[in-house]
Amino acid sequence: MSMPAVELEAKTQRKQAKPIEGVKKVFMTGNESVAWAALAAGAEIMYGYPITPQNEIMHYWTRLAPRYGKQFLQTEDEISAGFTTCGGVLAGKRAFTATAGPGNILMQESMSMAEMLRLPTVVIVQQRGGPSTATVIYSQQETTLTCFGGNGEGLRIVYSSSSHQDLFDYTIKAFNTAWKYRFPTFVLGDGYQAKMRESLHIYDPAAKGIKMEKTVPFVGQEGMPGVDRAPAHLRNTFNTEEELLEVITGYVAEYQKIAPEIIEYEVIETADAEIVLVAHGIVARAAWAAVRALRNKGVRAGFFRPITLRPFPAEQLRKAARTAKKLLVAESAQGQLLKLVQEALYGETVPIATYLMPGQGITAEELSDYVMELRSNKTNREGGSR
Amino acid sequence: MTKGEIAQTKEAYVGEYASGKSEVAINRALWLFETGIRPVILVDLDLVEPFYTLRPLKKELEARGIKVLAWETLNTIGLGETGNLLQPVVRWALRREGAVVIDVGYGVAGIEKLRLLERPAFERESLKIYVVINIARPMTGDVEAVVDYVRALGAVHGLINNSHWGDDTEPAIIHEGAQVVTKAAKILGLPVIWTTVDQKWQKEIGSYDVCGNPVFFLKRYMPRAFW
Repeated sequence: MSMPAVELEAKTQRKQAKPIEGVKKVFMTGNESVAWAALAAGAEIMYGYPITPQNEIMHYWTRLAPRYGKQFLQTEDEISAGFTTCGGVLAGKRAFTATAGPGNILMQESMSMAEMLRLPTVVIVQQRGGPSTATVIYSQQETTLTCFGGNGEGLRIVYSSSSHQDLFDYTIKAFNTAWKYRFPTFVLGDGYQAKMRESLHIYDPAAKGIKMEKTVPFVGQEGMPGVDRAPAHLRNTFNTEEELLEVITGYVAEYQKIAPEIIEYEVIETADAEIVLVAHGIVARAAWAAVRALRNKGVRAGFFRPITLRPFPAEQLRKAARTAKKLLVAESAQGQLLKLVQEALYGETVPIATYLMPGQGITAEELSDYVMELRSNKTNREGGSR
Repeated sequence: MTKGEIAQTKEAYVGEYASGKSEVAINRALWLFETGIRPVILVDLDLVEPFYTLRPLKKELEARGIKVLAWETLNTIGLGETGNLLQPVVRWALRREGAVVIDVGYGVAGIEKLRLLERPAFERESLKIYVVINIARPMTGDVEAVVDYVRALGAVHGLINNSHWGDDTEPAIIHEGAQVVTKAAKILGLPVIWTTVDQKWQKEIGSYDVCGNPVFFLKRYMPRAFW
């Protein structure tokens, strides 16, 4: 059946229109927020393989993509989804994928290649329980994996989101960070954020003065290599140890140089704090609510949230820790954020209490009660742990 | 509808993922129960994520007298993406006596799952399918999108304006929703069954929305559900 001309014209116009005009207040799940952000950011193709709790990123992308002339490839598994994302980027496409848990493990090989070839891949991770299949629901147990999962030095950028607004903002930002600095970039969410519903503002990046980084093909460029342009000499294999050392040393130096431009964090009321709650992702929301409740009770509590887990805001945390009497690290994992915190604070003497709940959510009430418990237990010199 | 007909109500709530189907279905079942109808049966027809929607509320709703047909964790093997079995008792739900309210979960694949249920004999078929719409969800964000969406569902019997921004709701989005859904309903030749509104807005919104559709006030249960 042929489509009437008027209808065809209407469909074509819709395809050309911007997915979002200006700024719009909406109510949606976190997964949808990612799909809309990728569209708004001008992503051209998603490669994906289904896994809970990220499925609706794919579902919404596949519903939306044809309306705006975008593409989708469902691959046979996550190994392929990771490598095809690398392939899309090599061809100059603003490409991305999304995964969770075991899928995140399978993508480590391709993302290591992205580190080696300096490919601006973007991966959205909605953490589920681990190890292995564990739960399809929630955890913060993919922190170490996402930051350092490859057989290399973790030359990646990892943003940890706390809300649907974050998922939208940082998905857009991830494309720009990746293409500007050419390190693989991750947005680390979780199953709660994926499925939860809340309001947020979605927008056309241009309406907020955000300019999208230009994308360029890494292979098949015009002109004679070495004459008209530098050769696209992309290597993920080297002949000698010395050769590899030289390349990696260069990458590490570059990563360290750009880190201060990339690092993001939130710090609130730490100047006079007797205890500073340190948390990332959705647990940071509970921590912030706990800090407000504690302040209302007259307890001088402060808040530190790393937004970039890699590179980690080490200097900023040290500064906050120096004036605090105690830190409390809370996470839905058995000490993955804690490792980053301890590394950042090496040499400092502030005691670190912990609230570690692998695979389980943490509420504001639990945290404020725990702080009250820590305060009443004066004999606990090590700081306390749970 | 006569009281006898209400007592045999068979309704299915469908809609876009996260449009508010479960909340509307729960409130409708409780309302039917309060009118004195027995039994009132609430059916969880979510095959993709059957463990995270009504399940956490099952005990509470049953304590209030509603019969809830939904999987319980102990009776299943596998969770999440592996749990895609139709509960046998659900298959026959539409042949039961009494009021039956079906929450057709997971809107992306949504309405097709109704085909899995055994239907009563043709002359006794009374199932009404209502589409829950929240215009703050961009997939159903304007008249054209609502019309496209509802047409894709096939035969349905009415629309429900459930437009809101969650905890950040303001009357403006409820009013705008009423206008968009009413316009879409006209184009589709369908009635607007209700505008559904959190009961905290009872004073501001009143018994009829800005387009004259009846308002059905909701008590919020879903914030306590899993997802």
